[in-house]
Amino acid sequence: MSYGKPLSRFHQPIEVPGRRLMHHVPLEFVKKKVIGGGGRALNQEIPLIPFIDFLLCLVCFLLASFSASGELPIDKNITLPQAENVEDMMDAPMIAITGKQILVNGTPAGSTRAIEDANRLEHIEELFNRLKQAKENWSQIRPNKPFPGACILQVDREVKALVVKSVFNTAARAGFPNISFMVNRIAKSGGEG
Amino acid sequence: MAGIDTGGGHGKGRATNHEIPLIPFIDFLLCLVAFLLVTAVWSRMARVNADANVPGPPDPEKELDDQPKDKTLHIEVRGDRKFQLVWKEGTTVVNTIDVPRNEVKIGDKGDIRFPDLAKKIKTEWAKNGSHRSPTDKKKDQAVLHAENTTEFHELIAVIDAVYATTRDFKMGGKTDELSAFNVTFAVK
Repeated sequence: MSYGKPLSRFHQPIEVPGRRLMHHVPLEFVKKKVIGGGGRALNQEIPLIPFIDFLLCLVCFLLASFSASGELPIDKNITLPQAENVEDMMDAPMIAITGKQILVNGTPAGSTRAIEDANRLEHIEELFNRLKQAKENWSQIRPNKPFPGACILQVDREVKALVVKSVFNTAARAGFPNISFMVNRIAKSGGEG
Repeated sequence: MAGIDTGGGHGKGRATNHEIPLIPFIDFLLCLVAFLLVTAVWSRMARVNADANVPGPPDPEKELDDQPKDKTLHIEVRGDRKFQLVWKEGTTVVNTIDVPRNEVKIGDKGDIRFPDLAKKIKTEWAKNGSHRSPTDKKKDQAVLHAENTTEFHELIAVIDAVYATTRDFKMGGKTDELSAFNVTFAVK
């Protein structure tokens, strides 16, 4: 094309085709959008805000379930035995029997030595009183609900049956006949038994 | 990226618009998540039930005087050699079976299982159990007799063997698998 001469009326100029729509809108950002480059932009914004929201939720959940001493309800002096045919845990008062002490929800409620020395089934008065108190407290807080009478025994694997039976008997007499033993769950072997 | 824009900022003083540094914040959160995941305790705690209500709760559909005497299975831990299974109806001994004490070690802490005892209890319950119907709400009663010197992990192994016997239980059109026995201790 020659640039010096004026074009005749039969001579059509060649122009680069472009977008014509919305050119009349006198806004800069509209113009930018309209001109476009054709095709999608290569730069992408990563949506960080939902990602941070998700992370915060995860942190909150993990913090809520975090316990500084591992599994908090377990007394550190207790090694639990293992069992296959078990049920899920429930919320109930915890009676822990270590080698020497009996604890109700972490507070001392008797000694195992007295039972071992007597070498016969003993009624543990301190444990009985604490459980009675726990039962009364439960009934006061929930006056319209029937008392479930459930408690969980955390017993060290080497504690003698005499101590276990004494605690079992005392708990039953104090109004907690539905007694469970805490164990470590192991996978079922699949074979018979 | 996230920022605080006050809309002004043409004056001479310090800029009032700020960019919040999100990347270090995300790094911190990721470190926190990693730490909490590593230190999380995935609980393996469970429980085995032992009910002191002997002979178990009464049948709610019958009169108290009309309750039949169920057979109960007494498991006696006799020394280091054998178990004795005794079926009793009230105080009458119906049947006595000796089971050799074959223990299988599990784990590294010296815990044990008694698979032969579990197998025998299962076959005995199939023959003598009083509550085998899936619609029966009651469970058979097992009473554990243990010597005073028996260690707790052995008691749990025996209770575990008793609970290995299960039966179907239908309620409201739904079928669950429940243990066939309710275990308690003989206290003497």
